[in-house]
Amino acid sequence: MKVRLRLNGVDREGDAEPRTLLSDFVRHELGATGTHVGCEHGVCGACTVLLDGEAVRSCLMLAAQAAGAEVTTVESLSREGALHPLQEAFAEQHALQCGFCTPGILMAVVGEHRAGRSLDEVVADVLPGHLCRCTGYGRIRAAVRAAWPELEARA
Amino acid sequence: MTEQLARPRSLVGARVRRREDRRLLTGAGTFVDDLSLPGMLHAAVLRSPLPHARIAGADASRAEAPLVLTPADVARSTREVRCIWVLPGQRQTTYPVVADVARYVGEPLGLVVAETRAAAEDAAELVELDLDPLPALADPDQALAEGAPLLHADWGTNVVVEMEIGDPADAVEDVIAGAAHVVERRLRIQRVTHCPIEPRGAVAHWEAATGTLTLWSSTQSPHHLREMLAEVLTLPAESIRVIARDVGGGFGQKEHLYPEEVLVSLATMRLGAPVKWIEDRSESLLSAVQGRDHLHDARLALDADGRFLALHSRIVSNVGARPSNVGAGPALVSSGMLPGPYAFEAVGTTFRAVLTNRPPTGAYRGFGMQQAAWVRERLVDEAARELGVDPVELRLRNMLRPEQLPYLTRTSQQYDSGDYPRALERTAELMRAAPPRPDDGRRRGVGFASYVEFTGLGPTAANQAVGFHLSGYDTAVVRVETDGTLTIATGTSAQGQGHETTFAQLAADRLGVPLERVRVLAGDTATTPFGSAGAIASRSMTVAGGAIVRASERLRDKVLRVAANLLEASAADLVLADGEVRVRGAEWRSVPLADVASRAWLGWDLADGDSPGLEERDVHDPAGISYSYATHAAAVAVDPETGEVEVERYAVVHDCGTAVNPTVVEGQIEGGVAQGLGIALLEESAFDADGMPLCATLMDYLLPTSDTVPDIEVAHQESPSPFVPGGMKGVGEGGTIGAPAAIGNAVAAALPEIAEHITETPLSPARIWALLRETR
Repeated sequence: MKVRLRLNGVDREGDAEPRTLLSDFVRHELGATGTHVGCEHGVCGACTVLLDGEAVRSCLMLAAQAAGAEVTTVESLSREGALHPLQEAFAEQHALQCGFCTPGILMAVVGEHRAGRSLDEVVADVLPGHLCRCTGYGRIRAAVRAAWPELEARA
Repeated sequence: MTEQLARPRSLVGARVRRREDRRLLTGAGTFVDDLSLPGMLHAAVLRSPLPHARIAGADASRAEAPLVLTPADVARSTREVRCIWVLPGQRQTTYPVVADVARYVGEPLGLVVAETRAAAEDAAELVELDLDPLPALADPDQALAEGAPLLHADWGTNVVVEMEIGDPADAVEDVIAGAAHVVERRLRIQRVTHCPIEPRGAVAHWEAATGTLTLWSSTQSPHHLREMLAEVLTLPAESIRVIARDVGGGFGQKEHLYPEEVLVSLATMRLGAPVKWIEDRSESLLSAVQGRDHLHDARLALDADGRFLALHSRIVSNVGARPSNVGAGPALVSSGMLPGPYAFEAVGTTFRAVLTNRPPTGAYRGFGMQQAAWVRERLVDEAARELGVDPVELRLRNMLRPEQLPYLTRTSQQYDSGDYPRALERTAELMRAAPPRPDDGRRRGVGFASYVEFTGLGPTAANQAVGFHLSGYDTAVVRVETDGTLTIATGTSAQGQGHETTFAQLAADRLGVPLERVRVLAGDTATTPFGSAGAIASRSMTVAGGAIVRASERLRDKVLRVAANLLEASAADLVLADGEVRVRGAEWRSVPLADVASRAWLGWDLADGDSPGLEERDVHDPAGISYSYATHAAAVAVDPETGEVEVERYAVVHDCGTAVNPTVVEGQIEGGVAQGLGIALLEESAFDADGMPLCATLMDYLLPTSDTVPDIEVAHQESPSPFVPGGMKGVGEGGTIGAPAAIGNAVAAALPEIAEHITETPLSPARIWALLRETR
């Protein structure tokens, strides 16, 4: 079947089986491979994208469920070569090593910020829902804290 | 030695941002599953559902798929895989890609290829494996029991290799017999799994027209894969190219050829089309190599003054269904590194590596040294408690002093350089600075762990002496291109460690080139020099880094020789910096590096005896082993009602020689500590009494999360390696080595009434709670 959705502001259409996951559809059918798949059962958080602005785990959704929706992935964050403040903070704080979990964390923080969550809530409740095996998390927390004022200023 | 060498204007020691980050942050990295080739097909792996079974046959007639490789197909088309680390008397030194007996749940038995992964999985469900169940060995107790079923009947035992290391047992016994105090414990380190967030994966593409097999893999060791794949498939090595682009963590799990990589290669050669296999998380938890699973019966003997006299351990290493590529290597390293930073009159171990029906254990961050630290440092704290001595004081009393280095341990390790007591004292100072915590009913304690770490996996002579069939050297090619930009090629590639930045810092520093004008080539056997070890054993910076330093320095000398002709000056009077060569004291006389390079590549203005071009190749085989060291300290709070442990503070004072990029070094340590915290408190790859795995999802295997890992304080010392150009020692594994022991000692300090029973990780709430209940 055909699934139509808006990916990072562009109308897209692709083939999907009823069982095709949103994560696989975005990655393999639409070619946006910045969203990563680490567990396919909703634990690791690497596949987090925004669905109509809300952070969701794209491995826990079917592509068909996203039909007609606006899907926002990590590829949308930087503009004209300039990194998003959160990306900038991750680079400055060395908050990534292999970078596999990073896109999901970035999208979760961006989404939860847009949803009105406070910095403390994001650090206490959102970050623990994302697995990173490289950094030990301290620098991720530091990057989110460092970027937060700029996220607030942009909002 | 200074605590942090000041290097003004130098790129070495500079906290520059990582050059790989932009692509990774923008979603533009290329991990193996991001690869899509025209006509590509997808594979699902057939796996054993039983821990032990004879494979009587396989019926693929109902599976409608372009290709099914049954166990018999695979066996006909492949040679056995060689173990890389072979110890004296090891009863098994090769293993088949697919055996005629399945020996663990999840063991690969064949492959199904279809248009999509989902279709391949559907078809795989229709392949009927005819399996005759055999009695399974769930653990070493069962495997070593009298009359136990044998995994290899002709051996007469389930022990694959056993060795005695260090002082002979009777010599150690003599010292222990004369000791005033002996601490004896049975200590266990559980089975864990690496869990890189990117699972394994491979894309294989056979091009019949050119007879070329290209394998893109999420591997730590592309050259090793190429060498082994050629052997197993009986292909010329020159026909195989292995490429690892961005790799999402490895930690030892991705450092050797896996059966799945052979299977997709076979499949593409049968079909002509590219074939992709991406491991799912359950496959990762069930079938990838695991770590640890050691049991130590250990004794620490002291004299009446609290001086260490002897240390002995009898080790059982559960290596699983077959020796992995490194087999009993972790038990050997556990033995060799057992003495740690202390002086002893006698140290010895015996170890037995035992087969069971679990996945093989292999390299995992810390490689035996984490087990050694757990055993030794717990015994030290137990001795301190029993003798009524402060644990830091007892350590200092017995620690090797800087003036005693170099020092040959009783287990034949030649420690090189450092100040072990200073690291301990500084860690203790950091912990004393802690603000008092509120009294919330929890029990609090601080624990320390000190260790010395073997890093670098070279020299080659050492590898040969211990039967390790891996290159102990690395090669770097450093080239100033015609426009003055720089290219570095090495055989070792990264899985998150930041080589594109730190390798570039080494060369840019010596060649006066801005970092953004340096490119690091790695992870492609077609463009990089051979190095079969790869990014393992904390060796990239030590071994490959040393080669980059030496090649860069020779290249700088050549640049100056060419520039000397252009500037009509003596090379000794020239300075290379900021992309140009200047005459010292007459800085207006200068020539851009780009001009020097373009002329050198033309073959003009060369010094007598120099050949055209600006490229140097250096093969670095370190003259000795570089030993890093550290002391870790943890402050914990334990809830006596639930047994839950919270790590409230964590500090590390460490020495990895020259820290090329201290921020990257700290990142390595912090990530390592988090993995060690997982071992200490959370993780266990568990099996039931029948050998059935209990952890098949991340709901069952508990990894550290942001709310369980505190900010980690890291302080540096720098004792340059005497053996490595540039002075770097390894730092990839140290964080994991010390953390479980530091946390375990902190828990024991918080709960002295059960301290003697703090012998086994993970220190889960259930374990602590049960111990507390027993003492009530």
